Amino acid sequence: MMGATLARPLLSVENLAVHIRTDAGPARILDDVTLAVPKGGSLGVVGESGCGKSTLLRAILGILPGGATVPKGAVLFEGRDILADRGASARGRIGFIPQDPYLSLNPVFRAGDQILEVMRRHAPGSRRDHKEKLVELFRAVQLPDPGGALAKYPHQFSGGQRQRLLIAAALSCEPSLVVADEPTTALDVTTQREILAVLRQLIAERGLSLLFVTHDFGVLATVCDQVAVLYSGRVAETGPTRAVLDAPLHPYARMLLACHPDRATDLLGIPGTVPAATAQPPGCRFHPRCPQIHSGCPIEVPPMLPVGEARAVACPWHGEAARG
Amino acid sequence: MAELVGASGLVVELGARRGLFRRRPGVRAVDGVDLSVAAGETFGVVGESGCGKTTLARTLLGLQREAAGEIRLEGRQVGGEGPAAARRTRAAVQYVHQDPGAALDPWWQVGATLAEGLRIHGVADAAEREARIAEMLKAVGLDPAFAARYPHELSGGQQRRIGLARILLLRPKLVILDEPTAGLDLSVQAAVLRLLQELRERFGLTYLFISHDLSVVRRVCDRVAVMYLGRVVEEGAAARLFAAPRHPYTRALLAAAPRLDGAAAGPGLPGDPPSLRAVPTGCRFHPRCGAAESRCATEAPVLKDGVACHLAA
Ligand SMILES: Nc1ncnc2c1ncn2[C@@H]1O[C@H](COP(=O)(O)OP(=O)(O)OP(=O)(O)O)[C@@H](O)[C@H]1O
Ligand SMILES: Nc1ncnc2c1ncn2[C@@H]1O[C@H](COP(=O)(O)OP(=O)(O)OP(=O)(O)O)[C@@H](O)[C@H]1O
Ligand code: SF4
Ligand SMILES: [Mg+2]
Ligand SMILES: [Mg+2]
Repeated sequence: MMGATLARPLLSVENLAVHIRTDAGPARILDDVTLAVPKGGSLGVVGESGCGKSTLLRAILGILPGGATVPKGAVLFEGRDILADRGASARGRIGFIPQDPYLSLNPVFRAGDQILEVMRRHAPGSRRDHKEKLVELFRAVQLPDPGGALAKYPHQFSGGQRQRLLIAAALSCEPSLVVADEPTTALDVTTQREILAVLRQLIAERGLSLLFVTHDFGVLATVCDQVAVLYSGRVAETGPTRAVLDAPLHPYARMLLACHPDRATDLLGIPGTVPAATAQPPGCRFHPRCPQIHSGCPIEVPPMLPVGEARAVACPWHGEAARG
Repeated sequence: MAELVGASGLVVELGARRGLFRRRPGVRAVDGVDLSVAAGETFGVVGESGCGKTTLARTLLGLQREAAGEIRLEGRQVGGEGPAAARRTRAAVQYVHQDPGAALDPWWQVGATLAEGLRIHGVADAAEREARIAEMLKAVGLDPAFAARYPHELSGGQQRRIGLARILLLRPKLVILDEPTAGLDLSVQAAVLRLLQELRERFGLTYLFISHDLSVVRRVCDRVAVMYLGRVVEEGAAARLFAAPRHPYTRALLAAAPRLDGAAAGPGLPGDPPSLRAVPTGCRFHPRCGAAESRCATEAPVLKDGVACHLAA
C-alpha cells in the first residue's frame, strides 16, 4: 500500500496534445507528450525556442490561450485529472514562478498586498496569519528586511529581490509542486546563483517537487535530477540529468548539447530551424535536420523506446547515432 | 599588436541636472577606466548588470560625452567632442544593439533600412547600394531575398544577422557587440558566434564584446576586462583570466556560472551590487568581499599588472 502511494508520481502528463487554431491552419504545439514528476523530484524541460516548453507549463497550470484545444491526453496531479476543470482543483497547490520579475508584479500595488490577495483566495487562515507567514517566507528567500518588505512597491526592489518575492509568492499557498518558466534568465549569474541556491534549499526543506523550464544546460545540471528534451512539441529524450548530459542518445539532444560553448569543438549550430507549429514534417519531426536519417524517418513517427531502467529515446537509430 | 581603440582615466557622468534652481549631481557610471583594444582582437567586457558596460560602449562611440579622461582611435585623440562631431570622427566604430529588433524600422522592408544606412554614409548610387546589400546579406548567411522581408517576419537569429549586415555595410574597423547572444537558444547562438568569427577574419574586424555569458566570452574572446561598479577590476588574456582569476570579484563571478557538470559552485557573492549613489569608500567591492582587510575600506586599489586589489600579489 505504502509503496504504491510513494511510487505514484505527483504530476503526470500522459499523451498530451495541445493544438491551436490559427489563420494558417491548426498549430500542433504539443503532441503525445508523456512526462512525470515524482514526489520530491525535479524535472527540467529543455529544447530550442518554440519547442513548446511554455505551452506545456500553461496546460499544467490551466492557463492555455484562447483557441487552444486538448484533443488528446491527460494531466494528473495528486491523482486527479486537472485538465477537466482547467486547473481549478489544483489552484494554490501548484506554485508558479514566471520568467520576468519586471513584468509579473503590478507596479501600482504594494508587492506584499498582491501576494496577500492570492493567499486570501487560496490559503486558509486570517489576513494576520497570512502576513505572519509571508514575512517568514520573505526571510526564507533571504529578502533584506523581511518585515519592511510588506509595505514596499515593486520598483523599490532590485531584479534579484523581485525574483525572490516571486518565489515567496509561489510558495505562499503551500503548494506541493512548483512550476518555473526560465526563472533566472533575466538575472546576473551572481544573482542567479543565489536564487537557485534558495530555490533548491526550500525544495529540499519542504519536500516540494519541481518542474523547471530552462534553456541553460548549466542551470539544468545544477537544479534538476531528471530531464526531458522537447523537440517541435514532442519528447525526444528523457532520463536522469547526469546520464543525459554525459551521453545524450537522441541525435537532437546530442547536437543541441554540442552547441554549448563549453562542449563545442567547432561552433556549428544545428542546421535549419525548428519547424513552425503549423507545418511540422511527417514522421520524425527532426528528420529534415538529422544527420542520422534513415529511409523510414520521414514516414513513421518514432515511438519512445526505453533504454535501461530510467531512460527513453524517440529514435530507433540512437544506438548507431551514439557510435557516430 | 597596434592599439585600435583606447581610453585612459575615462569618467562618464549620467543623470546630472544643472538647472539654475535645482542642481543634482550625476552618478559616475564609468569612473576611471583604462582600456586598450588591439587591432584584430576580440576584447570581452563582463560584469554584473549596471556596472557600466553599455555606458562605456556609448562613450567610445561618441554617443555619450565623457566628463574626464582621454579616448584614442588609431593613435589619434578623439575625446572631448559633442555627439555629432564625435560620430563623424569615429565612423570607424559601430555598435550592434543589444535588442536587434530595436535597430530595425518595423514598417520598412529590411532592404530599405540597409539602403538608408548606406545613403546616409554617402553611397549615392542606387545600383551600388543594392549590390552591396546583396553581397552583405550573403556574407551574414542570408539569401538576398531577405531584403524584401519585414522585421516581424524574421526569427531572433535572422534579426541579429540583419543587424550585423547593417553595421558591416558601413565598413567599420571596430564593432561593439552589446550582448550579441542574449535571448538566443544554444543552436542559434552557436551559428551567430561562428558567423562573427568568419566575419572578423574576412573583413579584418576588431570586436568589443559585451556579454553576461561567461561561457561564451571564454570561448570567443582573446582578452577580457572585468568591470565592477564603473571600474575595471581585472584585465588580461582570456585563457589566463578564466584559468586563474586574481581579483576576488572575478573569482566570485566565475564561480557563480552554472556548470555543465553540475559541480557545486564556489562560495557565493552575497547581496546586490551597491547603488552608484552610495559608492563604498576604499575598494568598491569591499562590503561583498570575503578577503577584505581593514585598509580595503579606506584605500582604493589601482589597476596594476592587470588587477585592482590590495591582496593580489
Ligand atoms: N497562441 C498561439 N497561436 C499560435 N501559435 C502559438 C501560440 N502560442 C504559441 N504558439 C507557437 O507554439 C510553439 C511553441 O511555443 P512555446 O511558447 O510553448 O515555446 P517555448 O518552447 O516556450 O519557446 P521559448 O524558448 O522561445 O520560450 C511556437 O512555435 C509558437 O510560435
Ligand atoms: N540617465 C541616467 N541617470 C542616472 N543613472 C543612470 C542613467 N542611465 C544609466 N544609469 C545607471 O548607470 C549604470 C550603468 O548602466 P549601464 O547601462 O552602462 O550598465 P550595463 O553594465 O550595461 O548593465 P546591463 O548589463 O544591465 O546592460 C547603472 O547603474 C544605471 O542605473
Ligand atoms: S528517427 Fe530518424 S530522423 Fe529522427 S532523430 Fe532518429 S535518425 Fe534522426
Ligand atoms: Mg517559453
Ligand atoms: Mg548594458
